[in-house]
Amino acid sequence: MSPSVTLALVTLAAPLGAALISVVIPPLRHRGVPAALLTLVGSVLATGAAATLVLQDVAGQAVRATVPWLVVQGRGLGEVGVRLDAVSVPMLAVVCLVALAVQVYSVAYMHGETPRSYGRYFAYHALFLFSMNALVLAPDLLQAFAGWELVGLVSYLLIGFHFDRPSAARAAVKAFWMTKLADMGFLFALLLLFARTGAFSWDVALRPEVAEATAALVFLAVMGKSAQFPLHVWLPDAMEGPTPVSALLHAATMVAAGVYLVVRADPLFAQAPWVQGGMLWIGTITAVFAALLGLVQTDIKRVLAYSTCSQLGFMVAALGAGSAFAGFFHLGTHAFFKALLFLGAGSVIHAVHSNYLSDMGGLGRKMPVTAVTFAAGALSLSGIPPFAGFASKDAILTAVEGWAGWVPWALLLATAFLTAFYMGRVLVLTFLGKPSAAAAHAHESPAVMTGPLVVLAIPTVAGGFLGPWLARGLGTELHLHLGRTPVLASVAALGGLALSVALYGRGREAPLAATLAALDRASLVDRVWAFGYRGVLLPLSGVLRWVDRYLVDGLMNGLGWGTLEAGAAVRPLQTGRVRDYALAVVLGALALLVLGAWR
Amino acid sequence: MNGELGFGALAFVLVGFPALRVVSSRDLVRAVLWLAVTLLGTAVLYALLSAPFLAGVQVLTYVGGVVTLMVFGVMVTRKHAGNTVPVEAANRLRGALAALGFFAALAWAILRTDLSGFPPVSTPSTQELAQALLDRYLLPFEVASVLLLAAIVSAVVLARRRDPAPDPASPVERRGLGEGSTP
Amino acid sequence: MTLRALLLVATALFSVGIYGLLTRRQAVALLLSIEVMANAANLVFVAFARYGGAPGHPLVLFALAVTVAEVAVGLALVLLLYRRHGDTLLELASEAKG
Repeated sequence: MSPSVTLALVTLAAPLGAALISVVIPPLRHRGVPAALLTLVGSVLATGAAATLVLQDVAGQAVRATVPWLVVQGRGLGEVGVRLDAVSVPMLAVVCLVALAVQVYSVAYMHGETPRSYGRYFAYHALFLFSMNALVLAPDLLQAFAGWELVGLVSYLLIGFHFDRPSAARAAVKAFWMTKLADMGFLFALLLLFARTGAFSWDVALRPEVAEATAALVFLAVMGKSAQFPLHVWLPDAMEGPTPVSALLHAATMVAAGVYLVVRADPLFAQAPWVQGGMLWIGTITAVFAALLGLVQTDIKRVLAYSTCSQLGFMVAALGAGSAFAGFFHLGTHAFFKALLFLGAGSVIHAVHSNYLSDMGGLGRKMPVTAVTFAAGALSLSGIPPFAGFASKDAILTAVEGWAGWVPWALLLATAFLTAFYMGRVLVLTFLGKPSAAAAHAHESPAVMTGPLVVLAIPTVAGGFLGPWLARGLGTELHLHLGRTPVLASVAALGGLALSVALYGRGREAPLAATLAALDRASLVDRVWAFGYRGVLLPLSGVLRWVDRYLVDGLMNGLGWGTLEAGAAVRPLQTGRVRDYALAVVLGALALLVLGAWR
Repeated sequence: MNGELGFGALAFVLVGFPALRVVSSRDLVRAVLWLAVTLLGTAVLYALLSAPFLAGVQVLTYVGGVVTLMVFGVMVTRKHAGNTVPVEAANRLRGALAALGFFAALAWAILRTDLSGFPPVSTPSTQELAQALLDRYLLPFEVASVLLLAAIVSAVVLARRRDPAPDPASPVERRGLGEGSTP
Repeated sequence: MTLRALLLVATALFSVGIYGLLTRRQAVALLLSIEVMANAANLVFVAFARYGGAPGHPLVLFALAVTVAEVAVGLALVLLLYRRHGDTLLELASEAKG
């Protein structure tokens, strides 16, 4: 086994080992800290291994090490293993690093929990890292599906971490069944692939209609996982989970898994231009729609949630325009700065004990590290040069140039403006101005929390310069050029920021209140889904429950009842009377006699 | 054929009629006594069939032993003087049908069989019989004795008085002749 | 006295016993009927010993032993029945009812 493969297996085995040990030895979990230590050790090992892999630069030689999974009649049904190339290795590094930062941060953030909850939290984190790595390193779509479903499960467990809170429990269920519905697409795509090719690889040449169908089905799952319109409604509700969870799963990694999957399966999607066209539009619509909704949110986490949704739309649009690189690049930068933003938000929430922007204000002076790092993240997200977010967003805008009559390009440019605007709003309302009553006693968070913030800020600022390296790995080139797009994008971003500072710098939420309130009725989408759930799914499951109770169970019960009745019917034969038995003997003997005589 | 009819009449007198009285007598004691007659009649038949030893044994064990036992049985289990219990009509019908059916089937089989291959032969003498018992049939002989022992022991065990609260209707109890019960 | 006649007589005797077996309500009466049936069987053995030379006599002796043993045990059971119910009617022994 080559050293690269060994390192890759470490990224899988270390977190899995931590998770398994925590599960199998409950005392470790119940005492809290031991489980946390285990998880952290696992993550450190994984991150170290991933970093080493990055340094080894496997771009030139893709490595693929698998074993057949289920051997049926001599043939393996799918494979299990790792695939290391210019797509999986950078992603692996991003995932591990962000996960480690979030976990370290959680050590302090979650210290208010009971030891049992604390341990459970970290056990879930270990499981998540393993699952995500399994997805990232998947050599074919089957393992990717397995990792996909596993991260979905962990997402459910972590959103509903405080399961005694009804809203959290509902949000977890909503996320789960919604993504599960979308995952049906993935499942059918797997079936289709297997039927056509006998394997689950994305590296196959398919007939156009088969490729379109498969890609469309996979994209359906992507829409669910990456919260694209109209399957985005679960993401804002997922903010019920602890903030570090929101940072890791619902910003940086899990929701990005959909984008990653499309990048990974680029050979497949490249054969499906119609699906790509759909992706372009859906991504664009999502980006705009979510950005608009992000403007009106009063909960800081929800702003970031809609922002995530919007940025995912950007990525999907880039993929739809055929540039897997642009989508991937933005995925990476977004992971860093969005995680940073969420952790920063967590820091603020921790300080003022509230999620609401109205309870914040003037925290810039009281929480300098948080403020500076948060600002860095916000600037990067807004696309201000030379931050990383600018580079990747520019790549996207460049990629969609000219497609569909420049309409997506224009819309995305406008969205960039909106992005900067709502982030500026958050910055102003949180860190500038006069502190609210709740914020009066705020203080900076402990080093265990600010440390990760600083660590994440580095790639947030400088990550853009890795773009060319990444591009080369994917077979394209990235040039920093001074063209129409970057200039317009920068102008839009700066303009948005300036406007928000101007509008919110003076007062509170006064400006545009009416417009914003009107935008809020876009919870229409959510209502549609709720109707679908209550009106369609629940009655359907009621029918199935009836079938199960009365038909299936009825059959079984009927058999039992029938047996009892038959027994009761036959029982009178046992009269207990000696003479009846004697008669039976005599008749039996008679019968034998007759039988014998007849032969 | 005439000989057969004659024999049939003889058999009826010796065993047929008594047997019928055994199964139809209302008084149990009478039934037992009719059984004795049946058994005696059978003994006569044995004698006619050149089996004198068996005839003697029949009288000794059956008439002497079994019948006596039956009489004891009847006496000990009497509710009141003279057990007269009528037989149910319905059962009589099905009993008669079964018996007649049985007879018909077997008789039909007998009548259809060619019995010419069974000529009269000389039967073993008593000495030959005794020798055979201790020679060829030694094992069954011993087993039979074991069987009898087992029967005696089991009869004793079964009939042993064991109840902590003996049946007050029992005539033995009332007369105070019961042995001490072992709980 | 032909073999055939003997066999028919024995069969008739056996059938009479069957009638008693199925009809009688008293336990002891049942035992008497069984005696009749056993007797009939023995008669067949003796008949075939006379006609055809089958080793019937020893068999009869053993059959006798078996019958006697059966009577002993049977009467013990009747005694038990009587002790339990105060009477020997067969329908009293119906605990094996369904």
